This record gives sequence, C-alpha cells and structure tokens, in this order.
Amino acid sequence: MKNIGKLFIYSSLFFMVGSCTNLDEELKGDITKDISLPGISVGGGGGDSDILGAAYARLRSAGTANHGSYYSIQEITSDEMCIAAKGGDWFDGGILVDLHRHTYNASHDFVNNAWNGTYGGINTCNELLAGTAIDAGQRAQVRALRAYFYMRLLDLYGNVKIITQPNVDAPQSTRAQVFDFVEAELLGALGVSAVTAGMDLSASPLSAANNPVRINRFGALGLLSKLYLNAEVYAGKKMYDKAAIAAGLVIDSGVYSLCGTGCKVTNLGRRPAVASDPAELEGYAAVFAPNNQNNPEHVFVVFYDEATGADMNFSQMNLHYSSQFTWNFDAQPWNGYATLEEFYNSYENGDLRKKNNFIVGPQLDFGGSAVLDYASDDGNLILDYTPKINELVPNSKREAGARPSKFSFKQLGRPNMDNDYPIVRLGEMYLVRAEASARDAGDWSKAEADVNILRKRAGVANLTAMTADKFLSERGREMFQESARRTDLIRFGKYNGTWWEKPVSPAHVNIFPIPATQVTASNGSLKQNPGY
Amino acid sequence: MKSFLTKWSFSLFLLVIMSSSAFAQKTVSGVVTDAGNGEALIGANILVKGTDNGTITDIDGSYSLRASEGDVLILSYAGYADQEVVIGASNTYNVSMSGGKLLDEVVVVGYGSQKTKEITSAVVSVGREDFNKGPIADAAQLLQGKVAGLSSYNRGGDPNRPSVIRMRGISTIGANAEPLIVIDGIIGASLSNVDPADIETMDVLKDGSASAIYGTRGSAGVIIITTRKGSKKGGFNLSYNGQVGAQNVLRSVQIMDAGEFKAAGGTDLGANTDWLKEVTQTGLNRVHNLSAEGGSGNTSYRLSANVRNVDGILRTSGFDQFNTRLNFNTKALNDKLTIDFNSSFTNKTQNFSFNEALRYAVLYNPTAPVLGANSPFPFNGPQFGSYFETLGLFDSFNPVSIIDQNYNIGKVKEFNFGADFRYSILDNLSANFRVANQNNSFSSRAYYPSTSYFRGNATSPTRKGRADFYNNESNFKLYEGFLTYVQDMGKSNLNITGGYSFQQTNFSDVGFGLGDFPNNDIDFSNNIGVSQDFQNRGFLTGRSGASPDERIIAMFGRANYTFDDAIFVNASVRREGSTRFGEGNQWGIFPAFGVGVDVNKYANINNVDLFKVRLGYGVTGSLPPFNGLSQETRSIENGPDGSVTTRLLRAANRDLRWEEKQETNLGVDFKSGRLGASLDVYNRDVDGAILEVIVDAAVFGAERQWQNAADLNTRGLELSLDYDVIKNADVSYNTGIRFSTYKTTLSDYIREQDISGNLGAPGQNGTNMILVKKGEEIGQIWGPVFSGNITDKGEPIMTDLNGDGQIIAGADKWDDPKADMQVLGKGIPDFELGWVNSLDIKGWNINAFFRGAFGHSLVNEWRAFYEPRLSTQTSYNFVNTELAVPGLTTARYSSLYVEKADFFMLDNLTISRNIGSNKYLKNVNVALTGQNLFIITKYTGASPEPNLVDYGASDNGGVVDYSRGNALAPGIDRRSNYFSARTFTLGVNFNF
Repeated sequence: MKNIGKLFIYSSLFFMVGSCTNLDEELKGDITKDISLPGISVGGGGGDSDILGAAYARLRSAGTANHGSYYSIQEITSDEMCIAAKGGDWFDGGILVDLHRHTYNASHDFVNNAWNGTYGGINTCNELLAGTAIDAGQRAQVRALRAYFYMRLLDLYGNVKIITQPNVDAPQSTRAQVFDFVEAELLGALGVSAVTAGMDLSASPLSAANNPVRINRFGALGLLSKLYLNAEVYAGKKMYDKAAIAAGLVIDSGVYSLCGTGCKVTNLGRRPAVASDPAELEGYAAVFAPNNQNNPEHVFVVFYDEATGADMNFSQMNLHYSSQFTWNFDAQPWNGYATLEEFYNSYENGDLRKKNNFIVGPQLDFGGSAVLDYASDDGNLILDYTPKINELVPNSKREAGARPSKFSFKQLGRPNMDNDYPIVRLGEMYLVRAEASARDAGDWSKAEADVNILRKRAGVANLTAMTADKFLSERGREMFQESARRTDLIRFGKYNGTWWEKPVSPAHVNIFPIPATQVTASNGSLKQNPGY
Repeated sequence: MKSFLTKWSFSLFLLVIMSSSAFAQKTVSGVVTDAGNGEALIGANILVKGTDNGTITDIDGSYSLRASEGDVLILSYAGYADQEVVIGASNTYNVSMSGGKLLDEVVVVGYGSQKTKEITSAVVSVGREDFNKGPIADAAQLLQGKVAGLSSYNRGGDPNRPSVIRMRGISTIGANAEPLIVIDGIIGASLSNVDPADIETMDVLKDGSASAIYGTRGSAGVIIITTRKGSKKGGFNLSYNGQVGAQNVLRSVQIMDAGEFKAAGGTDLGANTDWLKEVTQTGLNRVHNLSAEGGSGNTSYRLSANVRNVDGILRTSGFDQFNTRLNFNTKALNDKLTIDFNSSFTNKTQNFSFNEALRYAVLYNPTAPVLGANSPFPFNGPQFGSYFETLGLFDSFNPVSIIDQNYNIGKVKEFNFGADFRYSILDNLSANFRVANQNNSFSSRAYYPSTSYFRGNATSPTRKGRADFYNNESNFKLYEGFLTYVQDMGKSNLNITGGYSFQQTNFSDVGFGLGDFPNNDIDFSNNIGVSQDFQNRGFLTGRSGASPDERIIAMFGRANYTFDDAIFVNASVRREGSTRFGEGNQWGIFPAFGVGVDVNKYANINNVDLFKVRLGYGVTGSLPPFNGLSQETRSIENGPDGSVTTRLLRAANRDLRWEEKQETNLGVDFKSGRLGASLDVYNRDVDGAILEVIVDAAVFGAERQWQNAADLNTRGLELSLDYDVIKNADVSYNTGIRFSTYKTTLSDYIREQDISGNLGAPGQNGTNMILVKKGEEIGQIWGPVFSGNITDKGEPIMTDLNGDGQIIAGADKWDDPKADMQVLGKGIPDFELGWVNSLDIKGWNINAFFRGAFGHSLVNEWRAFYEPRLSTQTSYNFVNTELAVPGLTTARYSSLYVEKADFFMLDNLTISRNIGSNKYLKNVNVALTGQNLFIITKYTGASPEPNLVDYGASDNGGVVDYSRGNALAPGIDRRSNYFSARTFTLGVNFNF
C-alpha cells in the first residue's frame, strides 16, 4: 500500500506540472498593432505633422524613383531611356531588353513589383480610412492619395480590383470602371460633383494651403487634369475640356509659380576645382535639385531624403561606376540607365534643360582631374560619356549614352537622394492645358501659348506652326525622367511604333499584363489582360 | 489528453499492485574479457535485467555495480553475444564473451533504451570505433557517409560553417529541417557544443515511428548522442588524445594566369599575380584532449578538456576553441535514486576572415599588382592602405587587402547543463525527472579601417572606415518528467513510458554599425565615440530583437510489447503544442506505431542468424520557421517632425496549422555468417508544408504570407551491407556499403509552378534557375539549352527546343508555354554511396572510407559569370575550363553552365598502430589520417558536393544571409562557397 501512495504522489506531481500548458504567443520584438502619433511642427514649413506619413511613404516604396518597379517600367519602355546590356553586365536574363522592345510578359519581375508596391499603398490608405484616427480633411487627402495609386494601376494595368477596405476582396473592374472610380474619388475628395470652370471649392475638405508633400485641392485638381487628359485612352471618353479647366485652376490659383530667373538654390554638386560648375542652380534646374524642397513650382511631390525618405536611387542607377569620384558618392553607382541618342539630340544646344537633364563628355573628379575607368572598353581610360549608344544588346560600351541627371546629384551624396519628385508640378499643368485645349479644339496652335511659356524659361525660341508631333517632342523635353513618357507615347499613338532598336509592338502591350503570380493567387478573381 | 493520462495512470496503478518489491542490494564486480584471446573488453555494457541500473566496463574490462541476489546481469558488447549472469551469494562475476548475435546491442531511443532486436523502426547506432577519423571539429562529420539516408555536407573546408545535415532529404521546407540533436537525454542541443572526442555513441533515428516520441522537433530525424561516462569502479584514469594536422586547397576554380589572360584580351595592368596563392595558406590544426575519469562505489565521473586550434585554407580564417565537459553519476537513497549530471562549457573565438577574398581572388585581374606602388598608372596607394584597387569596376576588390586590412571575429560562449533524476519507485516502476538549461552567447565584431576599399569606403573623401557589432543570447530550458513501467509476463514483456515535456526558448539580439573614423592610426572599433556618424543623421545602423517566450509543451506515452522474444510491438502518442501557431491551431496529436518480427525464430532458415522484418508508421509535426506568423507585423514610418505611423509588413495567417509528416517505413535486418544487411524502404507524406507564398496583394496589402501551401512526398530506399571478408586471429578485414536514394515530389502546391534561385549581379539578375512545380520533383534546374553556336556579336544561340522557329529564352519567359527551356539537371542526387573498409593486421588498423553522390548537377556560377570573354569587363579574370566556348563574349545563363557533379572520393584514410603500453603510458595508439585524399569528378568547380540549401546571391561586398536558406532551390554552386581542402593529420592517444 505504501507503493500505491507513492504512485499517487508521483502521478499528481506530473499532473501539476502538466497543467502548465500556456501557449499564448506574446511577441516582444515586433509591432503588431498600428501606432499613429502626430508630430509637432515647429514654425510651419514641412507641414506633414500628421499621421499620414506611412501612406505617403508608400509612394516611395511603390517604386517612384528606384530600380525595378514603377519608374523602370514607365521609363525604359519609352523612347527616352534604356538599359543597354554591357557584355556580362545588365543583361539580367533579357528582362531589360524586353521592356524596351515591348516583349514583356506576365512573369516580368518589374511589372510584378509595381503591382505589389501600388496595392501596398492602397492597403495603407484603406487601413487609415477604416480607422477613426483621422479627421475629414485627412480622409479627403487619403482618398485622393488612394485615387492616385489607382490612377497608376489604371494607367499600367487597366483592369484591376478596386479594393476599398482592408482584407475585403472585390471583383475585377474594367478599365472604364476604374477610371470612373478614380474620377469619383478625386471629385469626392474635392467636395464637388464635377469639374467646371469657376467652380466653388471653398467647402472642399482639402486644404488650399501650399504643402507639396501632401495633397491639397490643387494637388487633387492636378491629378484630375492628368486623368482627364488620358480619358480617351482609359475610358474612351474625350474629356479634354475638363482637363484644361482643372489644369487652369491650378495655374490660376496664384499659389504656385514657375521657377524661372531668380528662382535658385545653392548648387550642392559643385566641385570647387571645376570652374564650369555654377555656384547656384537656377530656374528649371532648381525645380529638381537635391535642395528643391519648397520650390514654387511643386504642387504635389514625393518627399525624399537621404536619411528619412529612402528610395530615390538615380545616382546609382544612371551613372558609371567611376562617376563616384565626381561627386564623392558614398556608394559605387551601377552604370545602368542611359538616354537614347535620338532623344538627347531632340534638344537644341541652347536649351537649358539639355544641360540640366544629361551628363555627357569627359568626366572630372572633385579635384578637377580626369575620372578613369580601369576596365575601359574604348581604348581610353578616361571616362567619357558619349550620346551614342552603340547597341542595346549585347555589347553596349560601358561609357555609352548620355546619363539622366535631371534630378541632379550632390557632393558626398548617398545612394538615397534628397530631391523631391514631382507628381504634379506647375510646369506640367501648362503642358496639360496646352494639349487639352488643342485636342478639345482640334487645333494644335491652341497649345503654343502655354508651351512657349516653358520654352522661354528653357532659354529657347518660341515654337510656331505647332503639330501633334512637335508638341509630343516638346513635352518629352520638359517632362524627361518624370515617368510620363510611356503614357504620353500611348496617348499620341506612338508607343507601338519604332525607334532605334525598338521594333513595332502590338497594341495589347499598351497595358501591362497582370502579374502571373497575382492571377494565380487571386483564385480566379483576376483575369489576365488580353494578349498575354 | 488528461483523460488519456488518467486512464493510463489508473492502469499503471493496477499493474503496480501486481508487482513485488526488491531484495536488498550489494556491490558486485568483475572483469569482462574476450573468450577468444582473453583481452579485456572495454566499454561492455552491464545491465541489471528489468531495470535501468547498469554500467560499462572500464579500460581494464572491470565493472562494478549494485545488484541484489537473484538479479540477472545482462552483459552486452558490440559484436559479441549477450550473456546473462544470475547473481548469487558471490560478489565477483568474471565473464568471457564470444562473438555472436549482433543485435543484442542496446540502442538509446526517445525517453529510454531498447535492445536492437526490439526496434521496429529505422535506427542506426554508430559507436566510437566506427566514427570517421581525423581532425573533426564538427560532430556531424563523425557520421558522414556512415548512416544510409543521413547526408552531412560541409561544402568546402570553411572551419566556421557547420555542416548541413539532412535525414532522408527534404523533410520540411520550414523550421526543423535539421535532425534533432539529443545529448545525454537532453533534447535540442546543438552539435557544436559537444566535442567529437567526448562522444561514445550516436544513435540515428531515421523514420517517423522512431522519432514521433520527440514530436515536432524530431520530424527531420533524431541523432541521439551519448557522451563518454566515467567508470564506477574505484580508480582513476587519465587519457590524452592529440592531433596535429595540415590542410591545403584541394580544388579551386580554374582560372587564367597573367599570360593566358593577356592572350585572351584581358586588360594588362603590368604585373603577374597569383591571387589564389596570395590569399590561401596551409592551415594548421592542433587538437588536445585530456580526460580524467574515475569513481568509486556508486559514483563515477568523467571530466574532459579539449583545446582546438584550427586554421582554414583562407589566410587569417580559423578558430580557437576550449571546451570542457563533466559527467557525474551517483546513486542515493538506497540506490533507488540515480542522478546523472552533465555540463559543458565552450569558449570559441572564430576568425571568420572573409570568404569574399576567395571569390575576388578568382575574378581579380591576374595582371593587377598587389600593391599600389606597382600600379601601371598614377595611383594613390596610401589612400588604400598601400594596396592596389581596380577603381571603377563593379564587384572587384583586391583580395589581399580584404583579408589583411579587415577582420571579422566572433566569440561564442556556451554553457549547458542537464540533470536526470531517476527514482526506482518499485522494481519495475521508475520515475525520471530531467532539467536542462542551455545558454549561448555570440558576439562579433567586424572592422574595416579607413583605408579599406572593401566595405571601408576608402574612396570617400570624408566618410571612411566601418565597424559592425553584433551580439545575441539564447537560452533554452527543459523540464521533463516521465514514468517507466516494466512488466515481465513470462512469454511477453510490456514496457510503458509516459510523461510531460516543457521547453522554452528565448532569444535576443542587438546589432550596431557605424563608420567615419578619423584615419587608420588605431583600431577605431575600440573607440567608436570618435565616429563622425554621430554627427550625421542616417548613417548609424542599429537593430535589436527578442523572441517571445517560445514554448513547446507536450504529453507523451509509449508502450513497447514483446512477445516470445520475437514479436515486437511499439506504440506511442504525443500531444504537442507550440506558441508559433494562433489560438485553436496550437495543439497537434502525433501517433506512431511499429511492429517487428524475428522471422528466423520461427522459420529457422539454414545458415541465417537473423532475419527480422520491421514495419513502422509515425506522424510528426513541423513548426513554421519564425515566430509570430499568426499575427500581423507592422513597420514604422517616422516623419521628419516626429510623427509616427505604421504600415503592414506581413499579413497574419491565423489559420496556420501544424505541418504534418506521415512516414511509413518497412525494414529488413539480415545476418548470415559474415554477411550483415539492413534494408529500409519508406514513404513520407508531408501534409500542409509551411511556405511563404504569394497572396493576392490587392486584398492582403502585402504580397507574401506564410501558409500551409504544399504537400510533399518522398520515397526512398536505404541499404547497408557489411561483410567480414577475412576474420582470423591475425588479420581481419570487413567492408560495408551504405546506399541511399530518395525522390521528393511536390505532390500539391497552391499554384502550378514557381521558380527561385536568382543568379545575380553583374548582369544576371532576375535569372531564376530552379523550378518548383506541382506534381514534379524538387530541385529541377530549369533553363534554355545552349546550341553550341554563337552570334557574330558573341552571344550564345539557344536551341529552338519546340521547333516553332522562334527562340524564347528570356529569364522572364520561364513559364511561357512557348519558351524554349527544359530541365537541365537536378540538384538532388539520384543516390548516395558510402563504402567503409577496416583492415586489422597485428596491431595495425587501416580504415578507408570512400563516398560518392551520383546523378546530381550544379549550376557552376563561376563559369556562368566569368568564363565568357566579356568584351566589356576585361578587367575580371576569366574562368577557364575545358568547357569554355571560344568567341563567347556575353554571359548568359544556359545549359552550358549546368554540369553533372557526380563524384566519388576517398573521404578518409586512417592508418593507426597500437603500440601497446610501457612503463609510463598505456594503450598508446598512433594514427595518421588523410581526408579528401582524392576526388573523381567531371565537375569543373571547386566542390561537386550537392548544395541542398541555397542562400542566394551576393555581390559588390554584400553579405550573405545564412539565416534563411531556401530548400526549394538546391543545385546552385554559389560564388560565396568556400574551396574544398585536403587534410593530413597525425594523432596520438594514450592513457597515463
């Protein structure tokens, strides 16, 4: 009996221990709930002391100014930029050539990244809208921002799902339906039912104050003007009148002004030993400079900062490895993106935009000595960018191609640049009004006045006897590197045509395929775009 | 479960009533010898029948233990027939043992031990005498090739990278891909904290029915390590084991010398440098192991200290390790309480050096000078620490500068202890309580002075130098209790075990990096306060993390039933819960069942000593690889003015459930005279394999989520054959084959197919090579087929495989139905082979171990990037194999770079001589070992070993992340892999 007693004691001991079955997982090092804290804005400026930071930051992570996503598929599919394969370098399984020659398909990584990045932004907006932490003005802003994300999807993929609540699925919409949604949302954010001349925006929940890192009523109007400009492509509707009105409202608001003579910033890229480097950047160059914050031309921009706003990597993407020594960059560039020769040559030599937008010729380092490329393949160690690109693939020269530098570089720059990236800027509003008025009237001369305002700033003579082709060319010169060219070529019917090493492409490539992985993951709720 | 336990304890209770109590105990002792030659048998097992009370013989063959009159001692020794001795009035029992039935060895299984013949599952026991010889730093290498179905690969000779161990191939894609390590009953240990010299036996549980008792953590198999114990006989024994060895590069990448390079059109920088020679060395290894053991009466101890000093073949790489282990055993409370305590302490300093130096030694221009002073053009050498650098070239760093200017040193401290208390409540009922604690800390520091181009940013005029610091700590606690009940019912035996297990792991880490140091005068990692990064925002990098209290809680029970000493039945069940799942999905039940029949006992086939058939079925579970997957995690966005918001980083999956592995194993053990054989065939289904998959980004807001996304099926066969070719008094020679083969198929998947394994920069990003396709085998290398022709621009022309007149071979066309791509090879071998040989001639022993793997291929990255004579990158050296295609000037992935990597090698050859004893030293044994003596392969890369796990591409000074391997992308020989080494070692053992 003694043993039985022992057994009971031991058994019960086991059960005591056994009752410890707590398996709740309390994460210690991860954030599992939203944190939303407004900042404290001292002395105005900035003006982004709200809790919308994460939503706007999504513009950066959605590939606005880095390699492999939105920017890349907007730019190197067009006639203004390419990434040429340099022997072993930059072939990347042919996916870059595919973009330039329009032979991309549903498994293209960049097409996939742009989709995911954009929906990531939409999700953050939806989370904010589903919560209660924001006021009516902020709700309007977030709706407008979400509408802008959808505008990208509308432009890139056309037929997408309109998701308006986190984790709640919706059926795939047609491109026309997406267009209607974007229009309705932007109008809703503005607090109006339609864009009309002289409309009253005083009751708009969106602010009228100038704050380019947030969407105010002019930002929303600017987005609407760009939407209406493309309405014929997106939805088969001609809405050029509305596009012109919306752009005009921004131009005539009095809040913004073109950055011309006297509008200048310190040249942060200056090499003291190189006499030709100006001390200041003025006019057009100042709009895109590393210190372009609060430029009077900015209506709505994506905020970038080397430390707190990462993902603008143009110095890395565009420049040759050795150009590191011109600006003393913190990291070695990648020698990727270059401008097509024909596009570069479309600028007159006196055009101030040409000097700002491109880097060509022999390169000097900080001390004024020649920059060398020890692996040079042109028989000359000196790094010398040539506008001519000998071929797209396979053996483009290492130094071939004028390098995009519209968003100019600063000394000691980091891989992440500081330049704010315009989504809506006053200069483009002139172009929208010009084109919309001309298309509305069926008369391209209607575009001349607005176009010549911009040409004047660029230091070149007025354009006369305007045609669609001349306008497109001019628009290209002004809007270079602003992710506009693919959309423009489509609107002008040129995207499927030929240029340089680009053959004719079929019409279905005018919208990108829906990423194959997403079609599969959607369990049948996403149908692939026609032709893919 | 509670009701199960209640019933179970009630039946125990009934059984207890029927049992009787014990006699008074006394100490019995004796000497165990070989019946043939009368030599003492060292390490023979002596067990009091029906109990766990036992000991082993010491160096003189002596034993002593406590037993009672009427007890039966079971003596067993590998290669000898078991003997039973009944304890009578005498206190001394000398036993001579003769060769006979092998299968009476005792094998340690989960929460107990069994006689080999009672085993119904696939279990292999490898004793010390059968381990691989030589300077083995990693216990896994002791078993390499010894156990059919257990693969242990250490690609190359990196002394600081542990082997990749896989049991029966890919058992899971998530966590627990490596077998569970159990050291002296304490689960969850790491192989790195036991010195190979301290290991007595390693028991390998291969199949589900054996490992199910360990639950989750046993789902990839179990390796049970029993460390060497002291002798209980009074006395003291001190032994020494020392080794000194040297290793050299066995194989590297075939590249051009300066002359060939210039002739091939390379950029001439005027010098002639053999970069591989500059960065490699003859690595010396020194190992000293001193152990003391002794005991008296009920108490024994063994204390060992090991010092290892290993230098790698890469200059400055290696480690210094000090390890000590204590085993202490005693009995108390009238011998009813047995206490086993063991603890180990390890202090290791690792000099990781930089494997990148090997990579850049391969691709660096062979005409480049080492020093800037010898540059063909003006070069500011002092800026780069006097070294030359090819500035302006992507992914090119002077390898000598890398290893000579920088360092990357890690320090590991590990302290573990475990105690097992076993109390004999009754003769046939005992209770065990185990407690164990493992503490591990790691700290590393990497420093790149302001003159280092590699990661030190020496090109910058201002921000130069970098220091990275990292620390982590982990703690593992284990509490286990179980009861064991044994009932002898005459013709049948019953053994029941049941208990509870609680495991908790905590991990935390912190990392910190900064730079911008004034100059190179001192090592500024010792004075980081001067860093100007403190004055500039955005340069300091820091992170820290902590795991939740990660728990596994389990209740388990097992019954072993033996009938007629010929029919064996095992059944077990384990209910297990983990914190890694969300509410409602935390618990899983994992049963196992096995039956074995000694057919020969009934069939009595002529000349057959053993013919046993085993059938086992077991279910185990696998955990997701990370914590927190059932919860959403968010990242912070900080605004410039102090605003804070968050965004979704990963969508929660509250439905994530246990990944279940069901394995059926059929085995046959056979012995006839000199021939022994063991055959196992198995079928394994993994249901709901946990993978990170792409989800509808529109709905989830994040495109990836961890899901139970796939089912895997593995079928395999393993065969072990042993034959005593010669066996007489002077000469014995036995040889054995270990053969294994398996095939893993993705039987179900959430989509039709995927591709992974990106080739990388320069120029081959977005080029994924390994196909993941529903219904097909894992590890298929996918891509276009090179036709053998090139364009006039030096591009490879791919084959129009489908004959549609167009060649679609772009990397983004991999799933295009019109694509001209096909399977180019497979990353997983068709079969693996080990061939063991042992020859004894009058005190000499020659041990030769050959092994090979056949049928697998590797993508040779070296060739894929650097073999084409790149017209635009003529300052990289060219890889130069016989497979090179002249005129090819563009690098594009194709079948050209996928090579068959079958190999057969002499892995280990040891010649040892037992010199005997003299006045001062006893049992002196001297051994000479050569490792990786030769390798037969057509593969042109550094190592043809299968690469089972891919860690991705890295370039331009980037760091390879070894924390997340991809098991779905085997078959890629990365540029970050180490070269393989050949080692010669002289070892000596003796006792004082």
